[in-house]
Amino acid sequence: MTLNITLMDSTTTVMKKQTASPFFRSVSALALLVSASFSSFVFGQPAEDDYYRMIRFDIPPHINLEAGGIDLMPDGKLAVSTRRGDIFLVDKPFADPPKEVQWTKYAGGLHEVLGIHSVGDWLYTTQRCELTRLKDEDGDGRADLFETVSDGWEISGDYHEYAFGSRPDKDGNQWLVLCLTGSFNSNVPYRGWCVRVTPDGKMIPTCSGIRSPGGIGMNAVGDMFYTDNQGPWNGTCGLKHLRPGSFQGHPGGNGWYNLTGGVIGKRPTEPQSGSRIMTEAKKIPELEPTAVFFPYKKMGQSASGIACDSTGGKFGPFEGQLFVGDQTFSTVMRVYLEKVKGHYQGVCFPFRSGLGSGSLSLKLTDRGLFVGGTNRGWGSRGNKPYALDRLVWTGEVSFEVHEMRAKPDGFELTFTQPVDPETAGDVASYKMQTYTYIYQASYGSPEVDHTEPKITAAEVASDGLSVRLRIDGLQEGHVHELHMGNVRSVKALPLLHNVGYYTLNYIPE
Amino acid sequence: MPAALRLDFRCVRTVSRTRRSLLGGALHVSSTQYRVLSMRCAIVSLATCISLLFATHAPAVQANPLVPGYERFFAEDDAHTANGGALLLGELNCLSCHEALAALSAYVQTKQAPILDNVGQRVRPEFLREYLAAPHKAKPGTTMPDLLASASESERIDKVEALVHFLASTGKLREAAPITPAVTRGETLFHTVGCVACHQPSQVDFAKLSTSVPLPAEMEKKYTLPGLAEFLQNPLHVRPSGRMPHLNLNEAEARDVASYLLRNLEVAGVVEYAYYEGSWQDLPDFSKLEPKSKGKTTSFDVNIGRPDQFGIVFKALFDVAQEGEYTFHIGSDDGSRIRVDGKEVAVVPGVHPVVFKSGKVKLTDGTHEAEVEFFEQGGGQELKVEYEGPGIKRQSLEYALMPPEDKAKDEKKFVVKPELVVKGRALFGSLGCASCHQLRIGNQQIASAVSAKPLTSLDNEKGCLADSPAKVPDFHLSKNQRVALAAAIKSLNSPNLRPARPTDAINATLTAFNCYACHQRGEVGGVERSRNALFNSNQPEMGDEGRIPPHLTGVGAKLKPGWLKQVFDDGAKDRPYMFTRMPRFGSQNVGHLIKSFAEADPPVADHSVATNIGERKVKSAGRKLSGSQGFSCIKCHTWGNVKATGIQSINMVTLTRRLQENWFHHYMLNPQQYRPGTRMPAAWPQGQVLLPNLLDGKALTQVNSIWRFLDDGDKAAMPVGLGANPIVLAAYDEAIIYRNFIEGAGPRAIGVGYPEQVNQAFDANNLRIALLWHGAFIDASKHWLGRGQGFQPPLGDNVLKLPEGVSFAVLENPETSWPTVTAKDLGYRFRGYRLGEARRPAFRYQIGNASVEDELVATSKKEFTSVRRTLTITATEPIDNLWYRAATGNTIAMANGVATIDDSWRVRVTGGKLRKSNGAELLVPVRFVDGKATIVQEYEW
Repeated sequence: MTLNITLMDSTTTVMKKQTASPFFRSVSALALLVSASFSSFVFGQPAEDDYYRMIRFDIPPHINLEAGGIDLMPDGKLAVSTRRGDIFLVDKPFADPPKEVQWTKYAGGLHEVLGIHSVGDWLYTTQRCELTRLKDEDGDGRADLFETVSDGWEISGDYHEYAFGSRPDKDGNQWLVLCLTGSFNSNVPYRGWCVRVTPDGKMIPTCSGIRSPGGIGMNAVGDMFYTDNQGPWNGTCGLKHLRPGSFQGHPGGNGWYNLTGGVIGKRPTEPQSGSRIMTEAKKIPELEPTAVFFPYKKMGQSASGIACDSTGGKFGPFEGQLFVGDQTFSTVMRVYLEKVKGHYQGVCFPFRSGLGSGSLSLKLTDRGLFVGGTNRGWGSRGNKPYALDRLVWTGEVSFEVHEMRAKPDGFELTFTQPVDPETAGDVASYKMQTYTYIYQASYGSPEVDHTEPKITAAEVASDGLSVRLRIDGLQEGHVHELHMGNVRSVKALPLLHNVGYYTLNYIPE
Repeated sequence: MPAALRLDFRCVRTVSRTRRSLLGGALHVSSTQYRVLSMRCAIVSLATCISLLFATHAPAVQANPLVPGYERFFAEDDAHTANGGALLLGELNCLSCHEALAALSAYVQTKQAPILDNVGQRVRPEFLREYLAAPHKAKPGTTMPDLLASASESERIDKVEALVHFLASTGKLREAAPITPAVTRGETLFHTVGCVACHQPSQVDFAKLSTSVPLPAEMEKKYTLPGLAEFLQNPLHVRPSGRMPHLNLNEAEARDVASYLLRNLEVAGVVEYAYYEGSWQDLPDFSKLEPKSKGKTTSFDVNIGRPDQFGIVFKALFDVAQEGEYTFHIGSDDGSRIRVDGKEVAVVPGVHPVVFKSGKVKLTDGTHEAEVEFFEQGGGQELKVEYEGPGIKRQSLEYALMPPEDKAKDEKKFVVKPELVVKGRALFGSLGCASCHQLRIGNQQIASAVSAKPLTSLDNEKGCLADSPAKVPDFHLSKNQRVALAAAIKSLNSPNLRPARPTDAINATLTAFNCYACHQRGEVGGVERSRNALFNSNQPEMGDEGRIPPHLTGVGAKLKPGWLKQVFDDGAKDRPYMFTRMPRFGSQNVGHLIKSFAEADPPVADHSVATNIGERKVKSAGRKLSGSQGFSCIKCHTWGNVKATGIQSINMVTLTRRLQENWFHHYMLNPQQYRPGTRMPAAWPQGQVLLPNLLDGKALTQVNSIWRFLDDGDKAAMPVGLGANPIVLAAYDEAIIYRNFIEGAGPRAIGVGYPEQVNQAFDANNLRIALLWHGAFIDASKHWLGRGQGFQPPLGDNVLKLPEGVSFAVLENPETSWPTVTAKDLGYRFRGYRLGEARRPAFRYQIGNASVEDELVATSKKEFTSVRRTLTITATEPIDNLWYRAATGNTIAMANGVATIDDSWRVRVTGGKLRKSNGAELLVPVRFVDGKATIVQEYEW
């Protein structure tokens, strides 16, 4: 499948059915203005921007906004923390266009802040070295009290030793994922761990097996997830469920089980390098398989921040789903999760590209998704050294696969709009391959163990909102990469994103 | 004669008349001796023109021995002096036969002939045959005499043949082919690192210089590639007298230069290839395919076919010197395979970027066959074949390739005849070869059977110096050379010979070793104008300073003796911008110069200053002067491995290892006096002080401070302003905080810069002040650009490193030692900080149930201000036996309530008690009143 073919297909479709096309209305005038020739009908191609518009903030020249954390303050200002250790306040975060926005510095001198959230008067701040809460006591708009909540983990002076902090869970605990000392080792306590800190500052070791996180966040029911990046024991980047007591796959930090006093169980046995993650998961009960793989160079190269859509429909049709950033690709991906045999697994789709810098921190509000970016140290497609963008839903619903659910004999796809039964009911409109990754101590993995399952039926539901795919040859433990280039909506639209990657760790019974 | 030439000639004559004595008339023969001539090139080019004019008519002349110093300073008709003769006495190694008094060594620097222990590994017998039969014909300019000049033709042939067989029996030649990339690299090296300071550069249009040390006309007739490469890697091994110095060529460089010099070696077609075309995803079975073409090439060159979809099978012979296990590495884009003697050793399957595979194989010494298969599907193509084994570091197999066996050639191959070896060995002693050449068989050196008259009883017109030498070694001396030698012998034998002066040895040595080819000393020597363009630099904007080796005038007062010795023994590359390398001459050869330079160049006046300013402050001032707040030395001078921001001049960090302190003082005050034409600016023009507020405002104190600062070598803190993009954080009206990895304060450091130009780094791991310093706060660029690895030292000066360890401890009794474990291990907890007035932080931490607030304030706005630390401890229940440690060091002296620690820094604290521990400690008991205690301490440093 190539992009060119898609363009031609859709152009033809659009010409036939332009009156029905919601996006075409918005662009047709422009297309006519630009050129009378038919070649300009590529403007009619559905584009991400038609559904999720990007609003880019102008950052004042004296501010370096390598945005590591974003939250709204109680007074409605937006707080943005930076890798350089500052926290800035934006007074009109929802201004559109964002003109006459005032930027003020709330705090400075902190150590690489990758996570903030406000609770009452306090702003909780995850620094590399500690979890700190900040307060402006004298009301001059600048924090003056910096209280250490926990510094129960160690740092050795290696830049890899990042700490990403979550929002508090339902018990008020803040969770942190702590990168290893580099890619392989854990030189000081709790590198390569997830810990959670209670409101009174007690640190509870929670999971081992972390390699190099890029973000942490909860799903709609409050279970905690983080992203880990391709490297040793991580064939590609992935979204992982931080089930307390679980082992997340990289044994580098397992030496610290001896500090935990057994509160999270015994140290898991060492995984065997060169194996497959589901093979090892069957031997190692603590090993929680990666819930969603982000296939390398297909979906991205460095998964980062996580945001859950709990806007009640104010951000479009994806309530309850997760948005995940990719730093290298400067994108936001979309993830649908389900629980199969007690474990989270699911699918990822492209969602929005073209962010200003390397997407790192995400904050979803009722009025849009803030994406903070940086590309210092690791390059990004977005060419700005740092950026702050807001994605707002235009109110138009894009034609997308809404959910992809595993079934014992295939998958069920639901759609955001009714499908055209002819194309959606034709098995030839779908193409699937599967593969997995080597689970190994050396860096990354190519895709391996490729198979091509046979799609035997595509049954369109009577309401047109779902399609049941019956498939011979589902592969447990494999990514199922599904292309749907020929599926059309009843309005003859192609899918805005016509590929999904389902990580089928478990096949439901 | 054309006018231009006449003009040149006049210039030469004019200069000639003004010559002065170099040896100060020691050898009292001539008062019109030599000096350096900037016109020298004119003479040379004139000579060239003349020789060119006559070249077509003149018969092949057998050249006189060529000694570059002689050619440069003495060869002219009116310069045939005793000095020139003394030089020849050494360079022709006359004294190895004609014994001389040791006292003459200052005048005559003897050059030992090459050591021939393993000459058979290095030099081809065919060359030896030609060379021994007619040395001056086979190598015009050679200093080796013809020992068989008086022999009959048949006798000569017999003796030469025996000598050749004997010499060839000392080793086995190994062959290898020069490959094109190595030839190209070698050509560059040859013309940049310094070879052409003495040898003729190869550019065809470059005038032939009479001062060029001769090489055999066709090098490839003399040397094999491995033999020459080994020689070039350590010339002193074979030629211990250092005339051919050691240029610090590494193994690869030596091979490159050898490849270049032997570029005409006829081993073309060492690799046979068969070329195929087709599209494959993996290596095909080439044996079933029909090659598109076949041929010969010089390397495993995969660029001989079309860009994509082809395959090649290479076959080549290679040679290993030792039996043992060898590892072969084959790397390719796309696939490849190597077989050795028909057996597969490694294979790289598939289509991909370069991937290496390795395999091992046992090989006997001698010749083996490598077969390399390669295929390229698409994209880039690359093939690397490497090997390693006993005595061979991993390198390209191409270096060991041999020409395919050639039966016809093999029949002509030289075979050592044992009966001739015996005869040749006897001749080596009886003819007198052994008088000059060391040759050991086993451990025994062959002795010379030839004896000659001592120097004192030589007749200046007979023997070797006769018009037609008979039954003596024939050196092919020119008339001028004979006259010079006679004059030297006469002078050296004269009862009026004055005792040698240091300058005599210096002049003799710098001439004999051709130091003058690069270095000028006083008026003498320096780069010849005709060679000037051969000296280059990667910093063209530095001008001549960047490309011409430094002059040696006054060098005895400039460089430290230890440094000179190091340069003689190891060579030098302290001027990375200069392409020419200072080679190793060996202190066994030139080490006497250290003493002679010291005697000849009296030290400059002592400018050292005594000051009562503390060492740390002096060094701070030195650092300031070196950095961007001072004279910005770092703008032009490199700092260790850190590049300067402007041109990349000589490394400051090694300065005090190289230079004598007094010389540095004088130089800094007047650079032009010591290095005329230098672009080094005078920071104290005419002694004027531009920064009067620094230290006592005196020039010498300030110069001294730079020396003291630099004397810490690589331990000296980098001056301010280095690095490409510094991000300097500074406190203006309010304090500023920087939490990061700070050198000396740990990974949880909290740096605080105060507006009063004083700073601290608080160690939140151990709840202590780790560093106090003055001036600039910190450069954040290490952590804020790139990924941010490493610890950042303070940017400012006068850094006081406070002792490790926690500040508070409960001591059971006054003898209990201070805990050495961490604050966390003691159960203490860091609690953060509150920003108060001027946003100064008051750190908070918990010691048991006591809360501590720890705030630092500058006591003044003066430079080097002291600071006051206020510790407020509150506890609901007083802690018994809680102590605060105000200071610890090797020594603490108390006077008027001020404690001086290690004669270096001072504190003032109330209620402090001294105790001896592992050194000394100043402890303050924490006394609670109404649940609160306060300790106030001042630091001055």
